[in-house]
Amino acid sequence: MIKVKGMTRVFGVGDAAVEALRGVTINIPEGDFVAIMGPSGSGKSTFLSILGCLERPSSGEYYLDGRDVNSLEDDELADLRNQRLGFVFQSFNLLPRHDILRNVEMPLVYAGVPRGERRERAEKMLTQVGLGQRLKHKPAELSGGEQQRVAIARALANNPLVVFADEPTGNLDTKSSNEIMEIFQKLHQDDRTIVLVTHEPEVAHYAKRILYFRDGEIVREEVNDELR
Amino acid sequence: MNFADLIQIVWDNLKAHRMRAVLTTLGIAIGIAGVIAVVAIGQGGEAVIMSELESMGSSRYFEVGPNYMKGETADSKTFSLQDHVLIKELSPAVEKLAPVTMGPMVDVRLPNSKKKPLMSSLYGTTPDLIAGLNLSMESGRFLTDADVTAHARVAVIDAGLAEEYFPNEDPLGKKLFVQDNPVTVVGVLQKAPSSIMSAFQVRSVYAPITFAQEMLNTRVINSLCGVAVSEDALPQATSDCIKILEKRHPGGSYMGTTMDEQLDMVGNVTSVLTLIIGAVAGIALLVGGVGVMNIMLVAVSERTREIGLLKALGARRRDILLQFLGEAVALCLLGGMVGMLLGIGGAFAVALAAHWPPLISFWTVLLALGFSVVVGVFFGLYPASRAASLSPADALRHL
Ligand SMILES: Nc1ncnc2c1ncn2[C@@H]1O[C@H](COP(=O)(O)OP(=O)(O)O)[C@@H](O)[C@H]1O
Ligand SMILES: [Mg+2]
Repeated sequence: MIKVKGMTRVFGVGDAAVEALRGVTINIPEGDFVAIMGPSGSGKSTFLSILGCLERPSSGEYYLDGRDVNSLEDDELADLRNQRLGFVFQSFNLLPRHDILRNVEMPLVYAGVPRGERRERAEKMLTQVGLGQRLKHKPAELSGGEQQRVAIARALANNPLVVFADEPTGNLDTKSSNEIMEIFQKLHQDDRTIVLVTHEPEVAHYAKRILYFRDGEIVREEVNDELR
Repeated sequence: MNFADLIQIVWDNLKAHRMRAVLTTLGIAIGIAGVIAVVAIGQGGEAVIMSELESMGSSRYFEVGPNYMKGETADSKTFSLQDHVLIKELSPAVEKLAPVTMGPMVDVRLPNSKKKPLMSSLYGTTPDLIAGLNLSMESGRFLTDADVTAHARVAVIDAGLAEEYFPNEDPLGKKLFVQDNPVTVVGVLQKAPSSIMSAFQVRSVYAPITFAQEMLNTRVINSLCGVAVSEDALPQATSDCIKILEKRHPGGSYMGTTMDEQLDMVGNVTSVLTLIIGAVAGIALLVGGVGVMNIMLVAVSERTREIGLLKALGARRRDILLQFLGEAVALCLLGGMVGMLLGIGGAFAVALAAHWPPLISFWTVLLALGFSVVVGVFFGLYPASRAASLSPADALRHL
């Protein structure tokens, strides 16, 4: 599913250059549930952002679902994100002016799904995360945990191959964190590929594999035997 | 993303900043209102002046006089009393032609009256002049060839004089004193249909040219006034006149003017005025456009994270571009429509006050609306393309 070889990412030039990634190599097969841990500034977000085709690596190979991502044009990357990838962010990133139904519909708008079908699918996704009764609410009227559930519904709206989540529980209390992680666990049981960044061991514990980052490199890998 | 979705996104975004949208729109509205009102008022005014001028004479009317551009003035040698006869025989383009001797300020009074004499213009001429005046007779007759040969002491007066001196009686056959010469009124001209220009119209007396020259004690003919066989024949008619005159009066230099040229001149003046005021309105529109650009740039930097998010969700460059361009165009179009209503209202108000037709052309309105869209696209393009070319990760990192 995901094949990365010798991936680097350098920000800035000359003396100011920062090497956020220093040659990362990893394979993530379909249906895997990977947690990325490591100290702050170790390159976790940068790695996730490149895997999610939100930015390009400075060098190295990246194959996603058999396609050479480096060779794709910006618009092709946009379509790839739209059709194959889903994102969940620490700060939810919902559109404050639209109700949550519309928020979940957004990826389908760009996919060109007709109005009726779009609405139906968005409603279904929101019902699955337990927000079927709140379709017309604005994000600000919801709790943090509920907002993150909306974000997950949105990430799943286009039925993506991979879901990327950058510290999805970073802004949530323990109870909401557990709720969110249970949703991720269910996704994993449905064979969805998940890559998740976190610095909380309890959260990482839900994953099948844990990658440890330090200074832009993977320093350790751990397979989680006792799946909950 | 289809059009309906685009419209909805644009609408939702504008609704989120109502006050800002209204204020931004105002600049455009003022510009568009200015353009529409100015053009409508200008066209209305021009139409009024044109119709005034047209009512003053036939569209086939022309005049030939000494070439004052070269400093020539009329003296007793400039024209002779036979010129018009000969020209009419020689030129197929000239239908009517009359010599005119002008007395710009003559006393006209009733016999045995203590009333102050009225100042009038005296025109000594021949029967053909009536064709050029574009007026018919209210009563009586115009001058005849017999009057001219006989130096007949008769006169035709305009409606203004008739009203002044003979308010309650038939002027025909009555006596008037022109420069202390007793003359008999044989005809009254119809009132000119003009409204605005009548205020400036000097009262006029028309007399046989032979008799008029005696009254004014002059042999000078000031100009030849005529009518061409058709509007197309006007250049031919004037150039024929000039050629023949130059042959008959060696050393003289002549020039012709036509009604067309006079209308053109008015048209030029009003279109220059329209252009100037239009340019001011255009500048207002430009300022409004810069306001739109400013607001769009603010929107782009406020919504940078949102742009990153939309790109993460699969928005292409084009989708973002269209969304922001759509907002700019919507602002301008909204302004354009408000401005259109204001402009049309203003034009109607002015037309009502000035008693002239409110000439709001469909094309002006269309042009103004089209222009507001162009302003939107032009001033929206830069902010929109800035928004569209952000990399998703950079945009998402933005605080
Ligand atoms: N846009 C950027 N410009 C410059 N440096 C950056 C940028 N993004 C990240 N970095 C640097 O790259 C390194 C890795 O950052 P990041 O991937 O965000 O780490 P993490 O998510 O593990 O905390 C850090 O040193 C950070 O300062
Ligand atoms: Mg991070």
